[in-house]
Amino acid sequence: MTDHPILEVENLCTTFSRGGTALPAVRDVSFALGKGHVQGLVGESGSGKSVTLRSILGLARHYGEVSGSVRWQGQELTSMSERQLRKIRGREIAMIFQEPMTSLNPLLTVGTQLTETLKAHTDLGRRARRDRAIEMLDHVGIPAAASRLGEYPHQFSGGMRQRVMIAIALAASPKLLLADEPTTALDVTIQAQILDLILKLADEMSMGVVLVTHDLGVVAQTCDTVSVMYAGRVVEQGDVRQVLQTPRHPYTEGLMRSVPQDVPPRTQLYSVPGTPPSLFSLPEGCAFAPRCQSAGPACQTARPTLQDIASGRQTACFNPLPATQEDAA
Amino acid sequence: MTQTVMKIDDLHLSFPVSRSLLDVVQRKPGKSVNALNGVSLELKQGETLGVVGESGCGKSTLARCIVRLYAPTSGQIHFEDENIFGAAARKDRSYNRRVQMMFQDPYSSLNPRMSTGDILAEALRVHQMRPENEIAGRVEELLELVRLPQDAAEKLPHEFSGGQRQRIAIARALAVEPEVLIADELVSALDVSVQAQVVNLLLELQERLKLTILFVAHDLRLVRHVSNRVAVIYLGRIVEIGDSETLFSAPSHPYSRALLSAAPSLDPDDKGVAIQLEGELPSPLNVPSGCPFHVRCRHVTAQCRTVVPALRALEGRGEVACHHAEEINQHA
Repeated sequence: MTDHPILEVENLCTTFSRGGTALPAVRDVSFALGKGHVQGLVGESGSGKSVTLRSILGLARHYGEVSGSVRWQGQELTSMSERQLRKIRGREIAMIFQEPMTSLNPLLTVGTQLTETLKAHTDLGRRARRDRAIEMLDHVGIPAAASRLGEYPHQFSGGMRQRVMIAIALAASPKLLLADEPTTALDVTIQAQILDLILKLADEMSMGVVLVTHDLGVVAQTCDTVSVMYAGRVVEQGDVRQVLQTPRHPYTEGLMRSVPQDVPPRTQLYSVPGTPPSLFSLPEGCAFAPRCQSAGPACQTARPTLQDIASGRQTACFNPLPATQEDAA
Repeated sequence: MTQTVMKIDDLHLSFPVSRSLLDVVQRKPGKSVNALNGVSLELKQGETLGVVGESGCGKSTLARCIVRLYAPTSGQIHFEDENIFGAAARKDRSYNRRVQMMFQDPYSSLNPRMSTGDILAEALRVHQMRPENEIAGRVEELLELVRLPQDAAEKLPHEFSGGQRQRIAIARALAVEPEVLIADELVSALDVSVQAQVVNLLLELQERLKLTILFVAHDLRLVRHVSNRVAVIYLGRIVEIGDSETLFSAPSHPYSRALLSAAPSLDPDDKGVAIQLEGELPSPLNVPSGCPFHVRCRHVTAQCRTVVPALRALEGRGEVACHHAEEINQHA
């Protein structure tokens, strides 16, 4: 995919336990990410996309069991101590969360929260930190940055708060940004502004981005490659254009077809029958088999693994959809 | 299709904001949030009217006014020529039965301590839809109507998924045989694959029961799919209203254009075609003078800053509230 991936995730598994039962939240997730590259993780709620992101940064190990390997520029993150991780978090790898309302401290001014990051991760002096904070707010498009440093989060709107979050995340010039549904709580017009901003900054700072979202439109407009997740596993991954335009896994196809685009108005929409399985009672074979129209007897008993089907393109299905001519070309 | 069921006329609603001590000392007048600033609409028999807009634009407030959860500051709503806020209509509960609302959050709109059967039976009893001995049978019918298994009647809401809960909410609304359904972000909390199931059900039931639906949502693709007509709301005013296909394929108001182009396309080759809107929705505490959109509009002139544009019909399009709609559309 890229010559020197900065992040390599291999066979990442995260297991939670509840009442003595093991919950396989994430299973065998593998992907690699190069500089300036945007990787999407897409799936429905409960498919394990957010847990994957948290496992990368070592947040999930506080409440679950993480195995597999996460290599960040040659270093293994999963075996790193909390102390070592703290040096990487915020400085090299930053994360932004879905809720800009709850991830800022309501009792501290925006300026304090911004300079706090700089104090922890850079050796800038007091004056320089303030200048850098103003520069960052300016950079993310907050007008009158200098005067807003002294304001509290409640004085900012939702979109502006998410900009502040991005400014804090990017203050120490990280090389990787993990974004967990950064625009889900925002309106479409603001969403367009924020996504544009993330892409522009990723490009300028040649920063890698892992973007978690449930919105296929957001994936299409921002990502270079995408992994589609279902019940904790990646069912299909590859170049965003190929995956969205000629899906090979029946689930990806079902997702694409449920979005009302280019269908006659007021007609019945295609819908994937049934609902996603509970992690407590995953089917023995392919987790998607009970909802799948092309499922055969093999799908009920054995679990398909992720196989290469074309260069840089993988799918986990015994009966993948036929490749169209466009795909073969 | 042509008969008007509901007529909303110049609806205004403002919520007073508590005055700070400083304001009282300085004898400043109390502020108010102007949620609706003169909304006029007609709902026609059997149609689906989509209402779209950004959060805080007043679309949910409008829905709540229609079911009398809020009383407007001024303006009227007529349902079959009767003012629903009039003294006679207030006493009459039949309006509550004939116009039903369904809410966004499937987790908080059902009583967690009541079984599905009880939830549906309560609606039937309150409006005396069926004699006591027929209620159980009717509950079964309703569950079948929204395609829930029969054993669902015994279960509590927490035993259902989000999509199934919205089906219960639909069954509850339909229990009292309403004529108008107000769907406030009915499927917004659901995943796409489940969303499609609920939308299909709604379209099918509308056809079968001849329902009129007001569909409030922020998902533009979905609104386009289900609606016959669409109203775009900005800061408590309708800025454009018209036939759904015309409006979505050729929006006339600069705000509708920006809003529609901001919805991310599913085609990765469409990257970067969105019209970027500057800034954010102004606070409804402090609505800009003149056209409320002028602070974010690229085509703003002096006239826009002072004069509020009225909704007017545009040839070949719907009705648009913009001083310069003709010129803007010519250049497009």
